Amino acid sequence: MHLVIKPLEFVLTYLLRAGRYIATAAIGLMVLIILLQVFMRYVLNSALPWPDEAARFLMLWMTGLMAPSAYRWGGFVAIDTFSDLLGRRSGLILNLFILLLSLAVLVVALQLGLKHIKSGWLFNSSSLKIPLQIIGEEPIRLKLAWMYMSVYVGFVGLVLVNIEMLLKNLHMLFSDVDYGDVPDQTVMSAE
Amino acid sequence: MLVWFLPLFLVFILIGTPIFFAMLASPGILMWVTDTTRDWNLLYRNVYNGMDSFPLMAIPFFMLAGELMNRGGITMRLVAFSQALMGHLRGGLAQVNILSSILFAGLSGSAVADTSALGSMLIPAMEKEGYSRRFAAAITAASSVIGPIIPPSGIMIIYAFVMGESVAALFLGGIVPGILVGVGLMLAVRLLADKYELPAAHKVELNPEPLSFVEYWLSFLLVRLNLTALIYAFAPVTEETPGTTKLLYAGAALVGSHVAALLMRRAVSPEFRSVCKRAALPLQTPVLILGGILGGVFTPTEAAAVAVAYAFLISFFVLRSLTLKALPSVLMRAAITSSTVLLLVGAAIAFKVIVALSHLPENMAEFVLGLTSNPLLLLFLINLVLFIVGMFLDAGPAIIILGPILAPIFIDLGIHPIHFAIIMSVNLTVGLATPPMGLVLFVASAVSGEKVQSIARTILPFLLVEIIVIFMITYIPAISLAVPSFFGFVEW
Amino acid sequence: ADYNLRVQVGSNINDEDYDGIVVFKDFVEAASNGAISVEVFAGTQFCANGAECLQSVADGTIDVAMTTSSGGAGIFPYIQVFDLPYLMRDDRVAEEVLRGGDFVNLLRAKALEDSGGAIRLMTIGNTGGWRNFANTKRVVREPADIAGLKIRTVVADLPQELVKALGASPTPIPWPELFTSFQTGVVEGSKNGITDIMGMKFPEAGLQYITLDGHAYMGALWWMNNEKIQSLPADLQHVVNNGFYALQQATFASPKRKAIQAYQDFVEGGGNIYVPTVEQKTAFKDAAAPVYDWFRSNVRGGSEVIDALIAASADAEAKIDSMNGMAIK
Ligand code: NA
Ligand code: NA
Repeated sequence: MHLVIKPLEFVLTYLLRAGRYIATAAIGLMVLIILLQVFMRYVLNSALPWPDEAARFLMLWMTGLMAPSAYRWGGFVAIDTFSDLLGRRSGLILNLFILLLSLAVLVVALQLGLKHIKSGWLFNSSSLKIPLQIIGEEPIRLKLAWMYMSVYVGFVGLVLVNIEMLLKNLHMLFSDVDYGDVPDQTVMSAE
Repeated sequence: MLVWFLPLFLVFILIGTPIFFAMLASPGILMWVTDTTRDWNLLYRNVYNGMDSFPLMAIPFFMLAGELMNRGGITMRLVAFSQALMGHLRGGLAQVNILSSILFAGLSGSAVADTSALGSMLIPAMEKEGYSRRFAAAITAASSVIGPIIPPSGIMIIYAFVMGESVAALFLGGIVPGILVGVGLMLAVRLLADKYELPAAHKVELNPEPLSFVEYWLSFLLVRLNLTALIYAFAPVTEETPGTTKLLYAGAALVGSHVAALLMRRAVSPEFRSVCKRAALPLQTPVLILGGILGGVFTPTEAAAVAVAYAFLISFFVLRSLTLKALPSVLMRAAITSSTVLLLVGAAIAFKVIVALSHLPENMAEFVLGLTSNPLLLLFLINLVLFIVGMFLDAGPAIIILGPILAPIFIDLGIHPIHFAIIMSVNLTVGLATPPMGLVLFVASAVSGEKVQSIARTILPFLLVEIIVIFMITYIPAISLAVPSFFGFVEW
Repeated sequence: ADYNLRVQVGSNINDEDYDGIVVFKDFVEAASNGAISVEVFAGTQFCANGAECLQSVADGTIDVAMTTSSGGAGIFPYIQVFDLPYLMRDDRVAEEVLRGGDFVNLLRAKALEDSGGAIRLMTIGNTGGWRNFANTKRVVREPADIAGLKIRTVVADLPQELVKALGASPTPIPWPELFTSFQTGVVEGSKNGITDIMGMKFPEAGLQYITLDGHAYMGALWWMNNEKIQSLPADLQHVVNNGFYALQQATFASPKRKAIQAYQDFVEGGGNIYVPTVEQKTAFKDAAAPVYDWFRSNVRGGSEVIDALIAASADAEAKIDSMNGMAIK
């Protein structure tokens, strides 16, 4: 069992860490973009067309890239009063059911997400362009699919985390091992 | 048939399924059973579309502002300021806890931020002074629900977004109710002082650190400017008043403010003065946020970003309490908590699909209206329902799910939309501090190390106070509507 | 019923779109003798904006949906031709153009091609009359009066180019934040139809000056899942088509009736309505000229579509003038 879990845990730890770095940058950029817009509109009286959409683009990627870490660290809000009443074995069985239910949601989401992204290639963003005019070419409008991918990437990460949890749960169910915190874990408090 | 999604959903969350998954699994299963899986597309698309919204951006921004204020020592200064004002009373630190929550509420938009920031500082301090730990945790939890009632408020932004109301009107509407909750709690502490064997009154020693040169003059200036604005607001100025006369008034106000500041300076000790000065910069945040929104400089969503910038600027450049090295972890924490909230909003928007398809709202409205058509009685019933919902569900998701169902019913009955919004927001916010599913209780427990159950028992009298306030808000519309109508945001 | 059509219209059942769909439902269900049932969803449960609604039509989650010209511009940019100012003289010309012919056929063909054969344009009606400039500051009589004002536009290039051409400052503000933004002065004006203005209670937020320049026809484009209509037997396809004709006629009529009350309410609330003279309208048209060039050179398929509209509009004017001549002779 360890042979499967350990490599997965290792890979996830690095993947999610990379995701968090990007998401961290994204939230900072969001602030700067909105402040820029306030300045352009109020001080210079010439609002920019793109900050609204650009900030949303960053927010979606921030969410998609952070969600797996939040799930892995137990930050997804749930009521655990009931499972606390159960013993180790029945608690693990209940948890197994919850993990499978969540996995079913995620697997369906992966299929639907592909369709969603595919439709996103039809649509141009209303204001976001790749500014190719700086190298003398025509600017290219960004396809909405690039925004749609953010949530899909989040779902892929959630599936991996779910599988990791599932394997650990099974291992614990059929042996006495106990898994403590995952690597990198910090305390999470959700609103 | 579709209506079975609701019991299924309840079972899922009660056994401990993460709410995000429960909100997708229960409608998904019902669609599968009723052979309408083409609507799965809708669920997925709504998760995405629910999050892809500009006003929601305020959520990560307020989280970030809260994190910055904790790291930058801004929270600490507010507590010191509260202590200078109320620390000498019987049950002083309990009163300080409540006052700090009121002040902090003007800076932050979330109750959880309030609990963790103030709790980690005040609970140990209260214990040292002889308060029981569960009392300290309970008063922290009870008072931190003021956070999202007094503006800015994440919950009200969500309400305004879902229901298409004016955010500014909601923000203004929350000011008086928030202060009422605070005053109610303070009275309760006073009345219960014997029962809880609170420490006797004693003199508070203030040991403020000296102010830096920059901060000294900045607060010197800010105090006078705020006073000037306050005095000028009472000047008989109309649109037709000539510019020179206006300038004259402003000049007089400036002089008046300086004189007032000098008089106040005489009246208090140097330590007290210093503590107040150290709070001047942080307390400028609510002035900046509300002033900027009302003055047309930025929208409420943008105000959240401005709050971040302000918190960063003062803690980095003026207070020098924040280092660049600490910044990534601050950003990271804000990003990760907001990602879970945003996912919940997305799932709740998807959940709304099945709520609509099952015709639950119409049926429920019919049922409720069948009970009685007396609006006052209906409001009582609805408060009960909201309170029970709030016991099990977070305020944000509850608003997203129930707002579109309930608000139209009451608006039709003649309740002002902003009034109803405030009733709903305050009621569900108080739910954050009620068992069994009270996020604020959980955080208070995590911060204090006290068991959730024992905090939940101790908090009961304070919850009672909050329930009384909810009913005052419900039956006295002026509490919610006077301020927004004064600023012209509500016709009432 | 053998066939079920799921239709999504915007959230407001007082809207002309809803009037149109009521007519459509009644016609189709009766004329198909119950073979087709039409299920109408008013609200945003299936889609909340143009892009989402077109997606839903493309993937078959809904069968029929309406978008405005800017709402559908993300996938069909050339339909913004309706946002180009002053191309159609008045309602009668617009209705003659939209009844059918080369222009509408061109749009339909281009849309089918661009959506990979998934989305068919069924008809073009009206939603809310014409766009006019409205603001919180002053009476706007000529382009110079509007210069310097912060005008709210949707996040799309064309309306922003128009506002810029008139010397004002285009300001993208999300629709939910617009009311507050008028109140606080973040923006000072907008370009909307009167029914939207009254529906959102904007005059309460200070929007008190309207100039009836009629700079854009608020076209309502009705789309249908192509596979769905192809799957119907030929006779029922005709029924559906006739249903869309009935819908179109209803949406032509409804806004005119509703505007009367809306304008009355606007004036009673202290609002000021200014009707520009012919010279002033020409001045607006001249000032807006750069937008036509912008459309030709920046919008994929733009030149072809604008030329088709100009030709159709000229034909319609000639036809109407001759009909008027005959009526009086
Ligand atoms: Na607050
Ligand atoms: Na609760």
